[in-house]
Amino acid sequence: MIELAPNHKYGLPIAVPVMPASGTFGYGEAYHDLVDLSLLGAIVTNPVSLRPRRAAHGQRIGVHNDHFVVHTGWPSPGLRRVIREAGPIWERLPVPVIVHLLATRPVEVGRAAAYLSGVRGVCGLELGFTEDISFADARDLLAATAEEGDLPVIVKIPFSRVDDLAPRLAQAGADAITLMSPPRAVLPVVDGEADDQVARFMRGRLYGASLFPLLLNALSRWAGKLGVPVIACGGIASPEDALACLTLGAAVVQIDALLWRVPWLLDSVARALVQSQPQLDTEKDDLSVDEGAMEANL
Amino acid sequence: MSVCRPVHSDLEISWLDMARRQTATLRTLRPTPPVWEIRLDLEYAPGAGSYVLADFGGPVREPLFPSVVDDTGFCTIVPRGHAATRLLPNTPIDVIGPLGQGFRRSAVGYALDRLLLIAEADELPWLQPLYQAAPAVALVVEATTRGRLPPPARFPPTLELTLVTRDGSMGYLGPLESDGSTPVGVERALPRVRELVAWAECICIAGDMARYPALARLVQEVRFHPQPGFAQALVRVPMPCGVGVCDICRVTTRHGERRACVDGPVFDLMDFLE
Repeated sequence: MIELAPNHKYGLPIAVPVMPASGTFGYGEAYHDLVDLSLLGAIVTNPVSLRPRRAAHGQRIGVHNDHFVVHTGWPSPGLRRVIREAGPIWERLPVPVIVHLLATRPVEVGRAAAYLSGVRGVCGLELGFTEDISFADARDLLAATAEEGDLPVIVKIPFSRVDDLAPRLAQAGADAITLMSPPRAVLPVVDGEADDQVARFMRGRLYGASLFPLLLNALSRWAGKLGVPVIACGGIASPEDALACLTLGAAVVQIDALLWRVPWLLDSVARALVQSQPQLDTEKDDLSVDEGAMEANL
Repeated sequence: MSVCRPVHSDLEISWLDMARRQTATLRTLRPTPPVWEIRLDLEYAPGAGSYVLADFGGPVREPLFPSVVDDTGFCTIVPRGHAATRLLPNTPIDVIGPLGQGFRRSAVGYALDRLLLIAEADELPWLQPLYQAAPAVALVVEATTRGRLPPPARFPPTLELTLVTRDGSMGYLGPLESDGSTPVGVERALPRVRELVAWAECICIAGDMARYPALARLVQEVRFHPQPGFAQALVRVPMPCGVGVCDICRVTTRHGERRACVDGPVFDLMDFLE
């Protein structure tokens, strides 16, 4: 078992180091006939807010070459409806459920955490921040979530704020850190038919395999140095990618929106990681020696 | 007939579940300017208004709606330059589906005699599988101008055809739902459309979603309180996941936001009444 919250009173043990990223897998059952859920370590839900939120207007996806940007405004049916409709599903899922909370205001996330603490099947919370959040606000949101509820709290760090927020929030009491939310980006998108195409631009969360080297960069800088488990998320597109993340010190990997194209990527990554676990342990030992040498040189 | 399958029976739902991942074979590619028609052989083809998500190698899957459905597969239309047009015949293509709620003949009962189809010219292919879905089918096609309309000879003679152009260059003067001033020598489409709405037992629409509220008002004016499913409208928006998780395809209806990929892509037109 992998312990994702070793400092928490209940802990968050999971069997397999693979889970879907928030916003890519719904509330647990949408992919039931395409993904073997029992192979996963946990399910991370779509972002949930205390109150209902509407979707953003206008174009919500822009595709350009191998990348795409998404801007949905994180719609949510509201926590009560999510619990009413997804609660019975969570109860019978073969894996733990981690509910992703939209970090709005401390009082709201606190209440949401309190509600969710009594829901069967829910074993942890993941808190998602906006790119421009200050450390003080993030700390207050984390504190409210941890104090009002009694579930382990994972913090998902925005791409551009990893160096700034990850070490400080780990110190402020996060049980685990997810590196990282997708970066904001602008892509050119095309409207109309080939004859009368009009170039426009769209801003949103960026997805694509090229996030992967950026993730490895973040992992190589921070995994193993935060004092809490690190969950790797961003552009993981194959079992080899997932293995590289674990080798660099991640405890678990999350597959992001690439699974919309290949839902069974979750299965194949899970199977591959389970098979390669002994080899991975050896590589991690070797890596820790290398890191020690590197630090000594510095 | 393979179109308009009932989707509400338990049997249909289990059939859909079993058919979720399939391998299609690209059988033929044919340029039909300004677009291309491709044919895919597939064990479980989508019915009219439903779709499969195909993997053409891009970062997200693309929804493919059928323009022709038969026992061995379906045809669809892709724009010029689409990745599919660069593939060789017999290339296998990974698809998920059939997905979504298509046009439902069951919504108005099986003894459907009079069907009205309304389409903007660019969206017409998605209604093609319904050309023979009832003994009497009337089709209204609207385009900006004459050159954007398909040649009338392309339509089966059994269809009762009404052509509408926004500039009055051919057929009736559009837009369908407008009763503005009428220049000498042309006839407004609205009275004709009202007549057809009164005649029909079921209406299937494919067009710009922004016009659906106006079309819903038109139907309400003629039929007062149509039964659910009397008028059905196809909403074509990006649907990268197909299972309702990504929230990209949300559309606003009078019952709140709905996901086109699983709650649609065919909705009751009256859901768009404002």
